[in-house]
Amino acid sequence: MYVGVVLMTAIIEEKYASISPAEFFYKYREVAGFSNPVKAFYQAIKELVDNALDATDMHGILPDVKISIERADEVQEFYKITVEDNGIGIPPDIVPYAFGKVLFSSKYSMKQSRGMYGLGVKMVVLYAQMTTGRPVEVTTSRENYRMIYYFKLRIDVNKNEPVIIERGAWRKTRDWHGTVVSVTIEGDWNRAKQRILEYLHRTSIITPYANMTLITPENEIVYYPRVTTAIPRPPRETKPHPQGIDLEMLKILLNNNGDKTLEEFLASSFQSIGPSTARILINTAGINPSKKPQELTEEEVQRLFNTIKNYDKYRPPLASSLSPLGRDVLESGLKRVFEPEFLYVVSRSPRSYEGHPFIVEAGVSYGGKTPMSPQDQPFILRYANRVPLIYDESTDVITQVVREDINWDHYMISFPTQLTILVHLCSTKIPFRGVGKESIADVPEIRREIRLAIMEAARELKRYLARKAREKETMRRVETIAKYIPEIARSLSVILGDESSRSSVEKALTNKLVTLLSRRSGIPFNIVDSIVKSVEIGV
Amino acid sequence: MSVASSEIDVKTRVKALELIRSHFKKLIEEVEKSHKLQLVFPKRTLLNTIYDQKAKMLLLGPDVQYRSFTDINEVKKFMQTLLMASIIYSSLRNNEYPTIRDLFYRGKHSISYTSIDGKKISENSWDEQRESDSVIRDLEVLLNILREDLLILSKEKGKVVGNLIIRSGNDVVDLSKMGHGAYAIEPTPDLIEFIDVDAEYVLVVEKDAVFQQLHRYGFWKKNKAILVTSAGQPDRATRRFVRRLSEEFKLPVYVLCDSDPYGFYIYSVFKVGSITLSYESERLSTSTAKFIGVTLTDIFGTEIFREVLKKPGVKEALEEVAKGISKLKSKQPYLSPDERKNFVIKAKLRDVERAVELVGYRVAEACLESSDYKSKIRKKEGVSGYPWFLSPEWVRELCIFFYTTSKLEIEAITGKGLKFLADIYIPRKIESGDWIE
Repeated sequence: MYVGVVLMTAIIEEKYASISPAEFFYKYREVAGFSNPVKAFYQAIKELVDNALDATDMHGILPDVKISIERADEVQEFYKITVEDNGIGIPPDIVPYAFGKVLFSSKYSMKQSRGMYGLGVKMVVLYAQMTTGRPVEVTTSRENYRMIYYFKLRIDVNKNEPVIIERGAWRKTRDWHGTVVSVTIEGDWNRAKQRILEYLHRTSIITPYANMTLITPENEIVYYPRVTTAIPRPPRETKPHPQGIDLEMLKILLNNNGDKTLEEFLASSFQSIGPSTARILINTAGINPSKKPQELTEEEVQRLFNTIKNYDKYRPPLASSLSPLGRDVLESGLKRVFEPEFLYVVSRSPRSYEGHPFIVEAGVSYGGKTPMSPQDQPFILRYANRVPLIYDESTDVITQVVREDINWDHYMISFPTQLTILVHLCSTKIPFRGVGKESIADVPEIRREIRLAIMEAARELKRYLARKAREKETMRRVETIAKYIPEIARSLSVILGDESSRSSVEKALTNKLVTLLSRRSGIPFNIVDSIVKSVEIGV
Repeated sequence: MSVASSEIDVKTRVKALELIRSHFKKLIEEVEKSHKLQLVFPKRTLLNTIYDQKAKMLLLGPDVQYRSFTDINEVKKFMQTLLMASIIYSSLRNNEYPTIRDLFYRGKHSISYTSIDGKKISENSWDEQRESDSVIRDLEVLLNILREDLLILSKEKGKVVGNLIIRSGNDVVDLSKMGHGAYAIEPTPDLIEFIDVDAEYVLVVEKDAVFQQLHRYGFWKKNKAILVTSAGQPDRATRRFVRRLSEEFKLPVYVLCDSDPYGFYIYSVFKVGSITLSYESERLSTSTAKFIGVTLTDIFGTEIFREVLKKPGVKEALEEVAKGISKLKSKQPYLSPDERKNFVIKAKLRDVERAVELVGYRVAEACLESSDYKSKIRKKEGVSGYPWFLSPEWVRELCIFFYTTSKLEIEAITGKGLKFLADIYIPRKIESGDWIE
């Protein structure tokens, strides 16, 4: 998992490293989204569900996620949140650290994931501890384990150590794997409810392969059934691309190197750098090739960094670390929610910005149960690495493209109309604007891809609308003619039939006229006939 | 069929029924062959109305109209045409004599249907009589039959008296024994049988009042004439009746109208046909009809025309008829200057405008003295006139009309004395051949 490098300055050991979680929490509480009881409630649900989904679909497992929220105190606004998944599970020796200590992965591999697993969930544990004082409970097992493990634990804030209050293990009686996490927090359910439902709804749109259930404190059940077993290909871990690193990260990598030479270090730590490119870089930087990476001076590190950044003959970053949703998933997701009259999805080829690979996917949903758009633009669903972005819509580059780069008139669209645009950006690094992680910054390469994706989908929509307009016009013409058929047939039968044969002559003539009109217009006989049958001639 | 019906009516009905039935039978058979359902008939438009110089009448041109069932712009008219055909067909079968107004009411009903978007939409088969009248005319051209022969009646307007015995329906009528009244020309003049005629010419009088005066005065007895009035714009029956008298007995036909552009036009309707009903001209127009008066030269004499010719621009405007004009005979007026003062009235703007339509803007512009009228007719610039009015005789008449902007109603002539009109004016004009053709 890719770790928020910028936030981390205290990585020391090869395995796990930590800073004081209390200090961290107070410092970054707002960054992490726990600024008030409404946001905190929403954030807690989001962290737990994102983790549950990361533990499943990122490993090729069709997710079954159950969320239950119960009132935990009659007087105070305490709520117990339980999230259960059928994911890969957590090894028992890791559990206390995963939930009871702010820690980071030592591995500098790159791949797409929803959140920073390990960081967000501990914020939830800490928040619970601060507001209700109640511990976190974790039940987990992995696929080949014979046992199920149970922990009740809290964090020693001063020591930044997990405190295990209770632990247990028992034999599996059925073939279960996954994790169940329960926390009790103080929150404002009444005001957070809408937000949480919206988050779940939007998540469900892009995870049609998941069963998701929410049980609310009012005992309402919100259920999103799985509609497809197609699941996106899980991302593969890759080494960082040289253009995507910063100076701080380079230093950490150099220090964690072990016993390799500088050339070996470069060739083995990055994608797109082999021994020959490594030699070119070292020569260009003017560093003694025999030096060990950890022996470089501050000034040599800077030179090496500049050389790596300025070299322009790398292959573009590998996209195998990305996990786009794919057209099938997007299509069945949008279908499930909107049952649209017209649907088109686009999954663009990988591109990169500043050494980070990314893929843009888009979908348009028109008509059916697609909600009515605002007065001047389509309804927009934004996603970054499969996480719905709900706030700060106006500053998001996706919104900007939709509002500024696309001339909707050109696509025969006038607002308001039942039109929703979905855009999903996946990348090993999403360029968020600000700390809220709700809005994507305007990066030219990304903006261009979003524009091209939406334009492709909008072109298809236009083609559909034009065809529909043509068909409607044809129908209108047919209608104009068909409505007179009974009168014409009746008139002719008066002339051509006699008293006894008149009605059969009229019938035969009607049939003949309907056939003729159907043949001339291409509209099926039964449709023309139904218009004719609806005609009433008065007196 | 009803015992009350005349033999001739029965025959006409049978013929019409057969015509309608066979036409539409063929139409339906055509669908099998060509997968097309369309009515094909000559276009009844102003553009497709041409003046046949040889036959001297207005005829329909060669343009053909396709009224197709599958053409959204034509389908309603297609439906209306067939609806009208079925109503006429039923009327014929039921021994009825509908008027065009009856036909309008019989066919007017609602047609409602449910559109694709589920809306209930309703309209009428037709809303105004203008629409149903129009498809009756279409059927006349389509079936090549006049509506009179489909036993569709209209108001009787024309009247006739004279030494003439006819069979109308089952009755024989002597038109010399009508008392102070007259025989009203029936809407189906083709069903009249002429039994005996003793007359030297036909005099058609525009005005009913003048007709009555001449009748009581005994004009037709004295002059062995058949006296006809159209009481204003002639209807089809009067025109057909006059045509039959002219054609079947080779009687000369003289037309007596007001001396104004409207009077001139009524004469031309008898002679060449009308623009709106040009398809009927072949059977309705009397190409030998002569305009006996009242002409402007009857009022002013021909001397005044010399003055007109002296006006700058007039000669140029009359270029095309210059040769004919120089050969025109001169004559004295029938009215003295004092009488003129009493009888002649000032032409109104609409008279002048009508006159422009007859001979064209150039002539009017050159001859008009009044600068007020000159500026008011400017909007008619480019109007070239009807070909049958562009003869030297008519041009001279209208030049005098523009120059004097005067007109005269025939009643004014009777003011000079009915005796003058009946015993002097008409006989003298006929004797001396003083008419315009």
